[in-house]
Amino acid sequence: MLKTPVYRCSAVATRLKQLCFSSECGSCFLVLRSSRHGNRLISISSSVCGKALPRRKPREVVEINGLEKITYAERKHFVPGLAKPIFPPWERDHQNPFYYKSPKPEEMPLYKDKPCFVFHQRTNLMEGVKQTLWLTKSKLIKGIPAQIMALVDNPASEIENQDDRVQNAIKHARFWDTTENVPPRERFCPTLLNSLLHLCGLQQFKHPALGKRLLCQKYSLAASWHRGEDLIQVRGKNGMLLNSMSPLPAMAEREEVLATADSVLETFYPISPTIDLQNLNVFDAKTDTGFVEGYPYPHAHTLFFTHLKDGHHEQLRAKMVMFAFGNALARARALYGPEPQVLEKPVVIQSVATNGRLFQFLVFQLNTTDLTTDTGVKNLAWMDEDQALYDFAKVRPLIKKKVVQVPAGLAGYHPDTFKKFLAFYLHGAA
Amino acid sequence: MALSALSRALRSVSLTGGGRKQVPSQVLLCSGGVAERSRASQVSLLPSVSNAVSQWRGFLTTASLEQNRKFWKNSEKYTIRPIGVKKTGGRDWTGRIRTHGIGGGHKQRYRMVDFQRLRYESGKEQPFEERIMEVRYDPCRSADIALVAGGNRKRWIIATENMEAGDLIKTSGVIGRMAVAAKEGDAHPLGALPVGTLINNLELLPGKGASAIRAAGTSGVLLRKVSGTAIVQLPSKHQVQVSETCVATVGRVSNIDHNKRIIGKAGRNRWLGIRPSSGLWQRKGGWAGRKIKPLPPMKIYVNQPSASART
Repeated sequence: MLKTPVYRCSAVATRLKQLCFSSECGSCFLVLRSSRHGNRLISISSSVCGKALPRRKPREVVEINGLEKITYAERKHFVPGLAKPIFPPWERDHQNPFYYKSPKPEEMPLYKDKPCFVFHQRTNLMEGVKQTLWLTKSKLIKGIPAQIMALVDNPASEIENQDDRVQNAIKHARFWDTTENVPPRERFCPTLLNSLLHLCGLQQFKHPALGKRLLCQKYSLAASWHRGEDLIQVRGKNGMLLNSMSPLPAMAEREEVLATADSVLETFYPISPTIDLQNLNVFDAKTDTGFVEGYPYPHAHTLFFTHLKDGHHEQLRAKMVMFAFGNALARARALYGPEPQVLEKPVVIQSVATNGRLFQFLVFQLNTTDLTTDTGVKNLAWMDEDQALYDFAKVRPLIKKKVVQVPAGLAGYHPDTFKKFLAFYLHGAA
Repeated sequence: MALSALSRALRSVSLTGGGRKQVPSQVLLCSGGVAERSRASQVSLLPSVSNAVSQWRGFLTTASLEQNRKFWKNSEKYTIRPIGVKKTGGRDWTGRIRTHGIGGGHKQRYRMVDFQRLRYESGKEQPFEERIMEVRYDPCRSADIALVAGGNRKRWIIATENMEAGDLIKTSGVIGRMAVAAKEGDAHPLGALPVGTLINNLELLPGKGASAIRAAGTSGVLLRKVSGTAIVQLPSKHQVQVSETCVATVGRVSNIDHNKRIIGKAGRNRWLGIRPSSGLWQRKGGWAGRKIKPLPPMKIYVNQPSASART
C-alpha cells in the first residue's frame, strides 16, 4: 500500500470527503460531496492540497581539468548524454548607456591599493568639530576675532532702517512667501539668506570695494592632503561662495601663529579621527579650487551654508570647518605650490551657516600646509555658535491654559546677529 | 439501517493513491434509494489524473526554495542604518500558516546586530577598545542594543546590564596565564575569564558569533575549565562544554526586568504581533503538565580525541 498523506476534513454534508496526494504520481482524486442542498463539484489541482515537499537538488556537474567535454553545441539541439555547452558571455558591439555595466572597482583605471578618506556634503562626522580640528590640524578659539568685532560696533557700517528691513526680510521668508499656511524650511531658509545677502549687497554705494565681489554656487571643490599615513580629501559642491579680487587680511599676528605650535591636538581614543569619512579605493588625489586659472575673482571670501534639518548643529559646524579648510588649502596650493610649508601670508576664509533662525559664524585662517605631522604651527579657527536672529516666528500663537506664551508673528528679534552678518560681509572692503 | 450499510461499505474503502473510483460509487449505490443519493451516483466523477506525467503546475520553479526566506534581509555589507522588515504573519513560502498566533503588530525596523564581538578591523589583529555611543531599545529582540564605535567603524552589539553612553569596553582574544579581572561589558575568551563569572553572548563554536545567552536579563555561569575546554551552565540549567577560545561577554544582558512586565491588556499583545490562540477547548495530551526529569547529558561542542588516540 502506498504511503500517502491523507487529509480528512470535517464535512458539513452527510458524505465523506477525501483528498489524497501522492509524491510519486502527483495525482489526486476527489470524492463527490453531495448534500441535501445539491451536488458540489470542486475541482482542485494537486499542487494546492497536500504537503509542499522540498525540491530535489540538481545533479552535481563534475569539472575535470584537461578533460574536454563533448557538448551538443555543434548539433544545435539537445542530445541526451552530451554535456551542456557553456558559451562565452555575449557583449554588445556598440555602446549603449542604458545597458552599461560599470567595471569592478579593482579594474577601474583610478584604483589604488591604499584607500583614502573623503569628506563630502552628505558626511555626518560623529565627533563634530573636534574631529575636524584634528583633521585640519587647527586650534579652536571661541568668539569672533577683534577686527570683525570692530566692524560690528562701528556705526558707519549700519544700513538705513537696518532693523526694520531685516525684520521685513524675516517676515517675508517665514510668512509671506507662500500661498500655503507655512513655508517649509527648504523654502524659507534659502529665501532668508538671499534677502539678507541682497540687503548687504545694497551697501555698494557706501563701500565701492564691494563691487569687486561675486557670488557663485554649484562649483566643485577638491582638496587632498596627507594626515599621518592617511590621505584625506574634501570634495563636492558646497553652498554659496562669495569671491573677491583681493584676499582677506590675516586675523592673527605672526607671534600668535607661532605660539599655536605649543597647543596639542585633541584625540578621542578609541575612536579614530577618520571615522565617518567615506573610505574609497578609486579616487583621484587632486587639489582644485573649482575655478580656472584666469578667473577675475580668485580669492574665496565667505562660504554660505543652508542647513535644511532641524538640529544636528555640531555636524553643520564640522561641515563649515572642513569646507572652509578645503577652499583655503586649494587656494594656498594654487598660490604657493604643492610643497608643505608654513605660509608667510596666511589664507583667511569666512563661513556663515544658517538653518533659517540660528546662525553659525566661522573664520578660518590657514597658517601651514604642512599637515603630515601633529606638531608644529597649527591653523586657527574662530567659531561663534548658535546665534539666533530671532526667537520665534509663529503663524499661530502658542497658548497654554488660555495665556499667550508666544504671540503670532515675529518675536524676540536680536539685532546683533545681523550686525555680525553684515560685518562678515563688509570685512575686507570697508 | 441505511447508516449501518454505509458504514459497512465504507469499512471496505481502501486508501489508494491511484484513485479508482468504483468503491465510492458502490458506496453510494448501496446506500439506498433516497432521491439525492441516487442523483449523486449519476453525476460523473472526475477521471483520475494520469500517472505518467507528474503535475507540477501550481509549483514555483524558482532556483532556491529555502525554508526561511527573508528577502528583505539581503544586504551583504554591514550597516548601522535600520532596515525595513517585511512581516510574514506566520506564513511560509507556500502561503499557508506554518506557525499560528503571529501577525499584525507595530512596524519594526531591523538593526544589524554584530554578534561576533571579536571582529578585528582589517589589519589590526590585537585587543581593542570601543566606546559606547548610545544604548537603545530594539524592537526585534527583548534585550537592548548599544551602538559602539572604535577605530574607523561603528556597530550594534547586545548591551549588558549597566552599559551607559560614554563607557569604554574592551574586546580581546588573548588567553593569558592569569585570569583577567572581568569587567562587565568586556569580551574575553572563556579561557581568560575566572571561574564563576556571569557571561552572556556565548559562542558555541570559536569564531562563529554568539548564539547562546542573548535574551534580556539572562546570564550563564562559567563552571570550570578543563584542559582546553570550558564548561558553562546556560540559563536553562543545561551544561555545555565549549572550546576555551570561544569569546563571551561578561555580565548580564540588559533589560533585566523584562520577565516582570505585565502585558495588562489584549491590545498590548496585539501590538507585539501576537495573535489570539484558538478558543477551541482541546484535551491536553502527554506534553502538558509539569515534568520533573534529570538534566540531559552535557552537550560537547569540542571534538575530543578519539579513544584510540587517548590511550
